Amino acid sequence: MENLYLPQLAVIDQIVDETPDTKTFTLHFLDERYNKAFSYKPGQFVEVSVFGKGEAPFGLCSNPLRKGNFRITVRATGTVTNALHEAKVGDVFGVRGPLGNSFPFEEVMGHDILIVAGGIGLPPLRSLIEPIFDKRNKFGEFTILYGARTPTDRVYKDALEEWAARDDVRLLQTVDRADETWTGPVGVVTTLFEKIKVDPKRTFAFTCGPPIMIRFVIQDLLAMGFADDHIISTLERYMKCGVGKCGHCAIGHKYICVDGPVFSWRQIKVLPER
Amino acid sequence: MKVGQKYTIDKQAFLAVLDSLRKGAKLIGPTPGPDGDVVFREVASVAEFTFDYVNEFDPVKRFLIPHRQDLFRFTLGKRPTFEPLVDSSPQVLCGIRSCDVKGILHWDKFFSGTYLDNYYLEKRANTTIISVACNKPLDTCFCICCDGGPWLEAGFDLQLTDFGDRYLIHVGSKKGIAILEKIKKGLVAATQEDLQRRKELMAKCDSQMVPTAYVAKAIIQITNNRVREELWEEMGFECFSCGGCTHVCPVCTCYDVADYMESPTCGVRLRCWDSCQYSGFTREASGHNPREKTKERIKRRFYHKLSYAYVKLDGHQGCVGCGRCITVCEAIGLLDLPAVVKRLRREGQPEPEQLGAQRHSS
Repeated sequence: MENLYLPQLAVIDQIVDETPDTKTFTLHFLDERYNKAFSYKPGQFVEVSVFGKGEAPFGLCSNPLRKGNFRITVRATGTVTNALHEAKVGDVFGVRGPLGNSFPFEEVMGHDILIVAGGIGLPPLRSLIEPIFDKRNKFGEFTILYGARTPTDRVYKDALEEWAARDDVRLLQTVDRADETWTGPVGVVTTLFEKIKVDPKRTFAFTCGPPIMIRFVIQDLLAMGFADDHIISTLERYMKCGVGKCGHCAIGHKYICVDGPVFSWRQIKVLPER
Repeated sequence: MKVGQKYTIDKQAFLAVLDSLRKGAKLIGPTPGPDGDVVFREVASVAEFTFDYVNEFDPVKRFLIPHRQDLFRFTLGKRPTFEPLVDSSPQVLCGIRSCDVKGILHWDKFFSGTYLDNYYLEKRANTTIISVACNKPLDTCFCICCDGGPWLEAGFDLQLTDFGDRYLIHVGSKKGIAILEKIKKGLVAATQEDLQRRKELMAKCDSQMVPTAYVAKAIIQITNNRVREELWEEMGFECFSCGGCTHVCPVCTCYDVADYMESPTCGVRLRCWDSCQYSGFTREASGHNPREKTKERIKRRFYHKLSYAYVKLDGHQGCVGCGRCITVCEAIGLLDLPAVVKRLRREGQPEPEQLGAQRHSS
């Protein structure tokens, strides 16, 4: 019987500083055959072990269509994430995954796509954004809205610049508090809705960010006329096992780690707690 | 010999067979506790067993889901190494009660499915269950309301019914057959008289149950979100968040995972019992806590135990009627499962205008 709880060893190839408290790590599995066979879908996550400190879940933020390595973006908040922030290139960690369900990808081909991300909610959505670019002609209008607390708190500044320069996507960014470098809009991410034109009937909206942001985004999307199953969100809970056994991430009768983290509003709205 | 068949045997002869099982397995069963109670533990001989008990206060959970279970041992270094620590040593659980067997059946389902929990399943595969039907209940037992007993039709390897000088044995599995095949003489097919006697014993036990838990009504109310919010609030005010109810529950399985260093370079990843009633259960690293209030955690507990969504998922309501939560709860008589079921029925109905509002919002 396969052991659910044993991680595979993975080594850090690259570390990028994103914000003062956030870094992106590129890793690959030491076992070559495992690394070759490793595949995942947009929105899935992995459990990363820092032996002696513990294990924590991270959404994969790399492009699932590109094999060979994978990336996670980590904000230093707790024991495991602080330990990861002290890591150097070449350090070895344990990784279990991929875990959880995924964003619909093939299923939404032929539709317009609206991405609404807040702060560190952009990383899991990046695993969807990049494959959409790879198969750009399969999708209609493509809009990305990104909000962060300050300009410095934005992750993937290079990628954002690159997306802004593309003519096959519309990227709008906003910050809660501007600084002298910022010339863009100021305000929460939902204030960007009035600047864009979407056809709710042709569009699938994907959102990820802090729970309070998600709540307001969904409210606005519904007001714009989005159908319940055209609104795709992620739910977040404290997770331990990642395989639906430890009980920590249960909401209603759903276990976020195996039934989620991706849910449509149609699924979320009937949960007894949100 | 076939599964489902029933035999009788002289008690002493059966105990001698039990004793012989010690050769290849840990023999675990009821022994006299320090305070006149009963404690299940590994014995060196069946002579240590007691037969004067109804049930142990701690559920047999710890023999299949240990309080602390080491998952793997790791050694730190440039390239960390680790080795799994799966314990699959054989054990025989003797004398456990029907409600606890029912709890084990619940875990069997929960720990399999898409993700097979090999730590549980391997231990389970090497566990033999010799249960005893109950001739008399405790004054906290209500298994009759939850199909948890006093006897079962399946789930055990062997099920005994105590006839005083003899046991009636109900064969539940191939493992059970293997044990009975060791018996050279004295095993006789149960007669109509024996079966009638068993029926009478069980009927008498049924009639002696005191607490009631009409779970069906509570399931309907919780499933349809027809419980006054204030009732959860009142219960939250009464609860001490001690987690006792989840620890003694033969159905609850939630666990925490942690790394424990045994030396500067060597440690284990372990899992240990946790409780959804602790305020830290859902607290995230950021400090965000979706179930910070006691009321939210109580609601969670009974949603899990009694909502149709879970009944469907698990095939059974999250209660076997063992009554341990009645004994353990610090909020005496207020928050054990039968008490909550009663309160949901009697005090849980929302006011008509509240119901109207709920209908419009959903």
